[in-house]
Amino acid sequence: MFKSLKNMTALLLIVILVLAILTGCSQNAGPGGQPGDKSPSPGGDGPKDVIDTSEFVEVVWYHLGDPPTNDQLDLAAEEWNKILKDKVNAHLKINFIEWADYLTKYNLLLATGENFDMVNTASDWLDMWPNAAKGAFMDITDLLPVYAPQTWASVPEEHWDQCKFNGRIITIPEDQYTQWVNHGFYYRGDWAEEFGITEPIRDWDTLGLYMQKVKDVKGLIPYDVVGSKAHELLDYWFASYTDSIMLEVPGNIFYSKSYDDLYTVYSPIFEDTMVEMAKKMKEWGDAGYWRSDVLNYTGDTREALKAGQTGVDAHHTQTYASLRVEMDEKQPGSNLQMFPVHLQRGNNLIEMSITHGAQSVAARSKNPERALMVYDLMRNDETLYRLLNFGREGVNYVVVNGKRTRPEGFDETAHSFFSNFWGGRMDKFENALPSVRVYDKIGDLYAEYDKYKKPYPYAGFVFDKTPVETEISALNDVKARHVPPIVFGKAGDPEAAVEAFRQELKAAGYDKVLAEIQNQINKWKESRN
Amino acid sequence: MAFNTKNEGLNIESAPPILKKNKKKPFLFKLKKNKSLLIMTLPVIVFFFIFSYIPMPGIYLAFIRYNYNQGIFKSPFIGFENFRFLIQSGQLATITINTVLYNLAFILLGNCLQIFVAVLLNEVASARFKKITQTVMFLPYFISAVIVGLLAYNFLNYDYGFLNVMLKKLNLEPLAVYSTPSAWPFIIVLTNLWQGVGYGSIVYFAQITSIDSEIVEAAAIDGVNAFQRIRYIILPWLKPTFILLLLFSLGGVLKGNFGLFYNLVGNNSTLFKTTDIIETFVFRSLMINFNFSMSSAVSLYQSFFGCVLVLFCNWLVKKIEPDYSLF
Repeated sequence: MFKSLKNMTALLLIVILVLAILTGCSQNAGPGGQPGDKSPSPGGDGPKDVIDTSEFVEVVWYHLGDPPTNDQLDLAAEEWNKILKDKVNAHLKINFIEWADYLTKYNLLLATGENFDMVNTASDWLDMWPNAAKGAFMDITDLLPVYAPQTWASVPEEHWDQCKFNGRIITIPEDQYTQWVNHGFYYRGDWAEEFGITEPIRDWDTLGLYMQKVKDVKGLIPYDVVGSKAHELLDYWFASYTDSIMLEVPGNIFYSKSYDDLYTVYSPIFEDTMVEMAKKMKEWGDAGYWRSDVLNYTGDTREALKAGQTGVDAHHTQTYASLRVEMDEKQPGSNLQMFPVHLQRGNNLIEMSITHGAQSVAARSKNPERALMVYDLMRNDETLYRLLNFGREGVNYVVVNGKRTRPEGFDETAHSFFSNFWGGRMDKFENALPSVRVYDKIGDLYAEYDKYKKPYPYAGFVFDKTPVETEISALNDVKARHVPPIVFGKAGDPEAAVEAFRQELKAAGYDKVLAEIQNQINKWKESRN
Repeated sequence: MAFNTKNEGLNIESAPPILKKNKKKPFLFKLKKNKSLLIMTLPVIVFFFIFSYIPMPGIYLAFIRYNYNQGIFKSPFIGFENFRFLIQSGQLATITINTVLYNLAFILLGNCLQIFVAVLLNEVASARFKKITQTVMFLPYFISAVIVGLLAYNFLNYDYGFLNVMLKKLNLEPLAVYSTPSAWPFIIVLTNLWQGVGYGSIVYFAQITSIDSEIVEAAAIDGVNAFQRIRYIILPWLKPTFILLLLFSLGGVLKGNFGLFYNLVGNNSTLFKTTDIIETFVFRSLMINFNFSMSSAVSLYQSFFGCVLVLFCNWLVKKIEPDYSLF
């Protein structure tokens, strides 16, 4: 009897399982959400008054960044929503994806299929192409001219070309905003001078000297870096010591040789410079320029710098421009300086791609038309642009002598405002009201960059990783395991460590991926001629 | 439980002929006959249905190239392509061996230590001391792995860790624990034991208290000493429980304690050689590549071999001691 009861239970479970699979299927067949489902009505070129906005909708955007801790954004939203309600019968709500593990959260948000309308994206730091390949963004080629006419007109055609995935536009570029996102090390000018380093630091050896002095004289950890920074530091080294240009292939392993040799794919990891880096970093690690347990350390380098607890930090020029002002307040006289890493050997400086900042319509958006209409206004209407980017005048900023500054009685906690709109900032509105919160001498650095900058050469090249997806995943895993110990000098003998790293890369399919990228680059080159 | 079922189902007659007869009876009749039993098992069936069977179609994820737009069942089917990642990364052997060895260490050492502690507790005469010891040993079980990781870091880190500060004060060489892979099997196993022994010993202790006191008294009259009592009465009494728990835990021998490993080791890849288990590998590949399908493939591999392992162990136990097998 016991046995038969068990059989019965088993039978029951099988029945239930079958039911579950069936219901699972049918549930999934429900919502459609194919790109292009929401194409505009036939004859889409019609004038604006044809567009039906009788139904009130709320448009939701997701931006990258920690959500505000005060209510300033909500108050500004009230203002812009009044205008939006009048113009397009819609409200705009901004949600945030926090910085901690932002890439995971970002990818998860796109994966869960939550209903939102627009999202910040970027080809170089937010996995735009892989997500486009996974179908996260809506094809807006036909929607743009109708629902975002101002944006459509202001972005030149060659820029739209760079936003195309399989020939369809999937994002709107932030192409009319100047910023420099080339990386470099920040160090304290006051300390450098105290140590007798009077010239600006322009090479890794002098930086090493500075760090040694920070350790000896100040008794601090010179560069209190976290383990996950290793991959960036490797990129820095390559930017310093090679002419290579990084390709937008997941994992940052593949580069092209140089600006004169744009179509030869290789990886500096297999060049001598990799061994040199490993040796130098072992030296630095042994000398104690970072924590011995850097690989397990998860603190905040920038906060340590602001608190005067460490001497070096690293990020891009744009960050430097505002960090400098903040440091002048928090560590008066610190004279924070930046060593842009390309200066080691001169001029390997490529302008960033226009899709470093971009805004896409989510594939599952219910109101893509209205989302684009709202976007068009927020980007191109000066009043709305200011509300979105600067906040409310008189509370979040005041204009003094044509510059944006903080009003009397401004309280950082209560009145600071940001919306992190990085998918469509405009130089014309920003430069009309420059902020005093940006380092006033940053222009000198920009002027220097302008002397030798080269335009981004791979605009429009989208690597299709499908044929080698497995290999790329494997390569990334190998890189994740080997780079941090090598870069922080914790891998034992540098040469042996690099050799082991290379061999594992080879075993994981390096050659196959290289050949595939080379093949796609060649095809792309041909298609352009 | 098994005895009860038998009695109710079979009334009074002897077993074999009735069983045959029973088989011929229609399904509905059986359903009616065992109504109350079925109702009693219903919550369990519902539980497993909801948490184990409904999510099961998700296994399909491992065989597709997942597209956000198309969802699970409409994304393109690519067969075993995702499993190739396991082999391609060259980590399959390392992570499988690590996972199995760690779990064997946890299970065997853990159970032995739990029995040892339970026996000791049983011998303690003072009820108050017994309670206090139990509580103190119980406590680590409730400390979250995140806290354990932090404690370990503050204890072991090279520059400011408690251990190394002490060593330096004693003019000894500090230990670079976080760059010594060979130290980690010990640290992880010790931490696991520290967390689990108090909790696990409760089961054995309860089992010991259920020993018929007549046996113990009779043995005492026959003049056995404490060691003999433990050796000949208590340990044999615990054997079925031990084997049962062993079998249960063997099913999870390919499932690692992710929280513990991730929080102790984090992303310190110098230690991966000795600390990377399937769970941390899955997590990492998901974080780096953000590919659900590949991660699902790894998980499926894990579940499949876990299942095979349970069947194998059960078969083995059945061969040796049929009474102790699970099914």
